[in-house]
Amino acid sequence: MRLVLVKTVLAALCISTLLVTAVFAEDFSLTIPLPLTGKQAKFGEMMKRSYEMAAEEINAKGGIKKKRLLLSFEDSGAKPETARAIVEKLIDTKKQPIIVGEYTSACAKAVAAVAEERKTPYLIVASADDDITRQNYKYVFRQNQVNAHYADSIMDFLQKIVKPKTVAILFESSAFGTSGAEAMEKDAQKIGMKVLLKEKYEAGSVDFKPLLSKVKAAQPDVIYMVSYVMDASLLMKQIKELRIDAKLFAGGAAGFAIPEFIDNAKDAAEYAITATLWTPQLKYPGAKEYADKYKKKYGDFPSYHGASAYSALFVMKDALERAKDWSTDGIRTAMKATNLTTAFGPVKFQDKEGYQNQNFADTYVLQVIKEEHETIWPERYASKKYIYPIPTWRNRKG
Amino acid sequence: MTSSQIEVLLQTLISGLLLGGLYALIGIGMTLIMGVMKIINLAHGELMMVGMYVAFVLFSSFHVDPYLSVFVAVPVLFILGVLLQKFLINPVLKVEAIIPENQVILTVGIGMVLANVATIIFTSDYKSTPVEYATKAWYLSDIWKETPIELSLSMPWSVSFLLAIIITVLLWFFLTKTDMGKSIRATAQDKDAALLMGVNVERLRVFTFGLGSALVGAAGCLLLPIYYLYPDLGGQFTLIAFVITILGGLGSTVGAIIGGIILGIFESLTSTYVGMGWAPVGRFVIFVAALIFFPGGIVAILKRKRFGK
Repeated sequence: MRLVLVKTVLAALCISTLLVTAVFAEDFSLTIPLPLTGKQAKFGEMMKRSYEMAAEEINAKGGIKKKRLLLSFEDSGAKPETARAIVEKLIDTKKQPIIVGEYTSACAKAVAAVAEERKTPYLIVASADDDITRQNYKYVFRQNQVNAHYADSIMDFLQKIVKPKTVAILFESSAFGTSGAEAMEKDAQKIGMKVLLKEKYEAGSVDFKPLLSKVKAAQPDVIYMVSYVMDASLLMKQIKELRIDAKLFAGGAAGFAIPEFIDNAKDAAEYAITATLWTPQLKYPGAKEYADKYKKKYGDFPSYHGASAYSALFVMKDALERAKDWSTDGIRTAMKATNLTTAFGPVKFQDKEGYQNQNFADTYVLQVIKEEHETIWPERYASKKYIYPIPTWRNRKG
Repeated sequence: MTSSQIEVLLQTLISGLLLGGLYALIGIGMTLIMGVMKIINLAHGELMMVGMYVAFVLFSSFHVDPYLSVFVAVPVLFILGVLLQKFLINPVLKVEAIIPENQVILTVGIGMVLANVATIIFTSDYKSTPVEYATKAWYLSDIWKETPIELSLSMPWSVSFLLAIIITVLLWFFLTKTDMGKSIRATAQDKDAALLMGVNVERLRVFTFGLGSALVGAAGCLLLPIYYLYPDLGGQFTLIAFVITILGGLGSTVGAIIGGIILGIFESLTSTYVGMGWAPVGRFVIFVAALIFFPGGIVAILKRKRFGK
């Protein structure tokens, strides 16, 4: 009796394993390079979770051409040389036909060069430095908006509501910071806003107050900052300490757009606005579902970095399914023809304004209202009405 | 000068002074060790990082205020310093080696190990202790209503500065009034003479390394509420301590205090009037200038005055 039972159980086990392997005859393994340690680890972690969520959903719906998508991750520590080595290994040894990933612009630049040299398509997810898609690379695709357009909707908001005459630009001395500041300077000239100050700082500085007192004396209408997360919080905290009453404090995405900014700067973050490429309140198919699922699992809403990573795997899946073969050139041709609406928004790789294979997406403005990021601009996407003019520091409680 | 220019200058000087006070406390520990052992401790910043993690753990698990955790971090770091000196550095001191200062290289290694252990335990994420009073400040216009200029004084920065001063004064009393302190100064001045006078130099070395580590651990606790924390932060502060040690005159506590404050003010002035990106360059300019123009540091200048040369 017992033997029969054991046999049935064994048989059932065999059948179930057979069934699973029957559904997925093969695996398609994809290794994603991204920063899991080091200064950018917070972003890397969010992206990793999002990739995993996407892969789970893809596999639940039958994988990519009946192949199970098997993800693994390699930590680049936000170091370009490490990122480069990882991708060289992936292409040369593992023969991976497509590369997805990385975060900082410096790393993405290094990876793009490797991918182009080895004629392997590379999908950039969240690196913003303009130059990456301006080098006539044929195999490098970028899903996120470029730095030059990051502030588009901020500029629109400024022009229509704030109407500032002067601006001070503070930026960290990195590829991302410098290109963001330059883009802002150009935009400011376009709308006739005078740049009173354009100052860079070394990431990781302890004391911004000397710089900020200079900003205070210049009395700009708007202070625009391009920073990663810890500097962004320190800047806002020290702005509060010095009671610098600009009409508006604006951040150029990155450090200002993730929940950790509010966690660290606390009440000093209130009313600060920031550019962003995506918000959970957008009406794209799957956007809300993704955001809610992420929040349920990890306790916070994801920022655009996560949404872009999540959607990137669907873009890749779409291209792989359309590709006539899975050679690097076959995939490249399919990628080029992408026309897909994802949770991140519409994705279409275009050659224009001197960029190649660049997706031109809308950008949005977030404002910190009651210690939450709310979408305020463009108005049709707004989740809350913007608060402007903002109260002076003296009139805020606490 | 217009009133707004005066405001910028005064605010810059205030920031510089507050920063300098912290720098001084970071530098003193290194100077003490330098004085007694004649080596530069290049794991200094990493020891501070350990002190900061002690404060961070106390804050995140038991909600202990970072300032109060000084009382825990100081003994922990003292013991760590004693152990490092006793079991790692002292044995190396006795070995004849091709490179003369092989203990210095050892401290580099100790620093790396500490940073990597911290990475394994805490990951390399940024950590911070968001305290309630983080952005509290006092304003001149609150006291004097019609003031033409507005100045602000940050509360956590001021508290850190005051505590740094108190710790420094306590240290000064210890070094001048107690037997142990006098022995340390004697050893720093002339090791052989101290040995002949019956000072147990080896025990003293162990104690001094512990004391130096404890001081920088305390500095870490004072820095945490106004900054943040990650395992690789040590290097940048080792460098600052090193510049202060050279500027102050190797091994002099008074020199380190003055050196720290000079460095803080100089950095702030550079940030305001040259550009914040240049502040690290300013640091090296001071370093090189000190080596070329006053090789003995501030202490040498003070001494020259006193003896009327």
